[in-house]
Amino acid sequence: MPPLFSLHNSSILLLTLLIAGCGAPSDQQNQIDYNVSAPKASGGTLINAMTGEPSGLISMIAGESASSAISSNIFNSLLKYDKNLELEGDLTESWQISTDQKTITFKLKPNLKWADNQPLTSADVLFTWQAVTDEKNASPYASDFLLVKKAEIPDPQTFRVTYAQAYAPALDSWAGLQILPKHLLEGKDLHTTAFARKPVGSNYYKLDNWKHGEHLMLSRNANSVLGPAQIDNLVTRIIPDNSAQFLELMADNIDLMGLDPIKYSRIIPARPELLKKLALYKELGNSYTYMGFNLKHKPFDDVRVRRAINYAIDKQEIIDGVYLGLGINIASPYKPGTRWSNPALQPYPYDPAKARALLQEAGFNDSNSDGILERDGKPFSFEIITNQNKEREKSAVLIQRRLKEVGIDVRIRAIEWASFISRFIKTGDFDVVVLGWGLGLDPDQYNIWHSSQQAPGQFNFIGYNNPKIDALLEQGRLELNPDKRMVIYHKFAEILLEDSPVIYLSAGYGLTAIHKRVKGIDDPAPPAGIGHNSQDWYIPQSLRRNEINTQ
Amino acid sequence: MNMQTSLIKKALSNPLSLAGFIIIMFVFVLSMLAPVVAPYDPNYIDVKAILLQPSMQHWMGTDGLGRDVLSRMLFGGRISLLVGLVAVGISTAIGILLGALAGFYRGWVDTCIMRIVDVMLSIPSFFLILAVIAFLTPSIINIMIVIGLTSWMGVTRLVRAEFLSLNEREFVMASRTLGAKNARLIFTHLLPNSLTPIIVSAVLGVAGAVLMESGLSFLGLGVQAPQASWGNILTDGKEYIQFAWWLSLFPGLAILITVLGYNLLGEGLRDALDPRSGSNR
Repeated sequence: MPPLFSLHNSSILLLTLLIAGCGAPSDQQNQIDYNVSAPKASGGTLINAMTGEPSGLISMIAGESASSAISSNIFNSLLKYDKNLELEGDLTESWQISTDQKTITFKLKPNLKWADNQPLTSADVLFTWQAVTDEKNASPYASDFLLVKKAEIPDPQTFRVTYAQAYAPALDSWAGLQILPKHLLEGKDLHTTAFARKPVGSNYYKLDNWKHGEHLMLSRNANSVLGPAQIDNLVTRIIPDNSAQFLELMADNIDLMGLDPIKYSRIIPARPELLKKLALYKELGNSYTYMGFNLKHKPFDDVRVRRAINYAIDKQEIIDGVYLGLGINIASPYKPGTRWSNPALQPYPYDPAKARALLQEAGFNDSNSDGILERDGKPFSFEIITNQNKEREKSAVLIQRRLKEVGIDVRIRAIEWASFISRFIKTGDFDVVVLGWGLGLDPDQYNIWHSSQQAPGQFNFIGYNNPKIDALLEQGRLELNPDKRMVIYHKFAEILLEDSPVIYLSAGYGLTAIHKRVKGIDDPAPPAGIGHNSQDWYIPQSLRRNEINTQ
Repeated sequence: MNMQTSLIKKALSNPLSLAGFIIIMFVFVLSMLAPVVAPYDPNYIDVKAILLQPSMQHWMGTDGLGRDVLSRMLFGGRISLLVGLVAVGISTAIGILLGALAGFYRGWVDTCIMRIVDVMLSIPSFFLILAVIAFLTPSIINIMIVIGLTSWMGVTRLVRAEFLSLNEREFVMASRTLGAKNARLIFTHLLPNSLTPIIVSAVLGVAGAVLMESGLSFLGLGVQAPQASWGNILTDGKEYIQFAWWLSLFPGLAILITVLGYNLLGEGLRDALDPRSGSNR
């Protein structure tokens, strides 16, 4: 699955299985002891909230986290990840890889059905592959699937794909592709079809009601291919403002939300009445925040300048000041502690003296003693742009201060997300960005770093072009042996760190508050995150909201 | 001049407008003295002192990056006042120019200018400003210019009306009969006699501009980080309103009091101007 821009640090994984609706707050509920262990019972409603409304529920078209958060409850993929992030069958019973590593044969589970009782067969899978690779659908996920040279369906339960050459991220890519029903979508334009707002899927839930700007209500799908979920209804309320969401959480009108570090470590702990009903969870997410240079702009094409800036920034200060310690330093674009993260690499230490020396070496001097360095008479001054995200804005302010100390003048501009992408990122009209990457589970980061991925709308918008990196990325895609692959990506991360096209600022923890009425949550979180078993979460009868008790 | 002095005297004899005047002077003096009275550098970041409650060290607490809110408020006051005065200066200058042209020459000049005024008034000014700012780099200078360029219509109407009525007065007619040139008529007779309503509207206009700047900065379209303005301190506080009340309360109060001050003074001046409201004497 290709990486997505992540708007918020709050865990995207989490949103995938959870949800929100309206419930009248009630005072009596303050008396309830939510810590009691109550018998497991199916039923009830889980209410979630999200800040952005999905543009549609065909995630291969929408390409946004708001969409996949909902659609992953409705659709299945061929494969999925278990709690330890190992692949297991979703629609698939078993799969086989040919000895030349080029062909994968998926065997579907028997008697699969869509929510409308139509059979789900390999024809649907083939249709989905055709849709994602169809040029007129312009799916942002197409590139992985375009590598499939041939796709066949020898029988209704078998789907076989052949790649031109072995492709290591293949299985992961199939785990990210939600299978769509051919009988409802054949011949339709996926960009305009009503199906995007009235989907028919095969997973635990089906969409009942979508009130624009208010909520999406999901209820249990009787035909679920993975068996029934415990909770009957998932309601997702659209609440664009984070502080309004938090008020709703405190008023008991939603059951869970992602938190920022201040809410997690200062606000909630200071209020015992909130701790009585909210459980807090912390897990290292699969995303990081970085400062990226536009490598086509001078002086960022000079590696000495990039390294100097890296030395001049105090990353620990950002973690302490912005994330209140709820983040860690990273030296590679992989989640620390995983196989792909190179343990030998160390982040650039905070060393302003070294930064000054490198800048001088690159030709920057304060020739007019105004405190700002110049080269060829031009002051070293640039603008950091970021989207309107509090953590990123604060990080930029801290960076601004540190760079001023070594003689670089920085301006900051926070821009609303849509124009940030369309006007600055896609046009390459920026000096420096502060942004985040959310990563897939496969180490392949071809889309982000390969020099061929620089067209407008593609992910290498910083214009990174390093033949050594290109070669490693190409090699990594062809290598199926995990140990050899690990060596390739360790080397890749090492060169990246040396070259410093981006400065890793931190990997923040995903922080979540969940109402204690919701039971069955794994704590501590397994590698796949607390949301991995949300189909098994349950709300004991006695702890449900009033309006549900009375039904 | 004598007329203006007595007008101000009359306005200040009203306790409410005197209060407004005192508030404005208080805010003005504090902001001017900000570098002297501010206990800290407004941009000094201390990550070990994040979101501290008001205390003896930090009278108004600290913000999300450990900066002293009182110091930021004082420096933010400068921004608010600067934006208010410059924006109103721009809008008043445009308003006087266009109003004078329309009121003096009348005919098609008047028609054209007044239709432009109608068009401008038909667009809600806040949205117009938002739209314009979206195309520019947000900065104090741009904010001042944009607010100035979108709020001159009231002054134009006022000046035009004054000119129309003054034009018919005997002393203007006398002057004209004696052969005075247009420039002399405008600058020695018409303009000085329309000055008082212009002052009133300018004072009220500052209140509007301060509010507008705060609103824009609150939305992230105004003054940019790390520079402080009351509006963007308020934005920082929004997230933590139930917890860090001081981040919302102090800038909110500052905006409220300043705008109130300008409004009280403006209203007082208007009452003093209006011959029908002689009761305060």
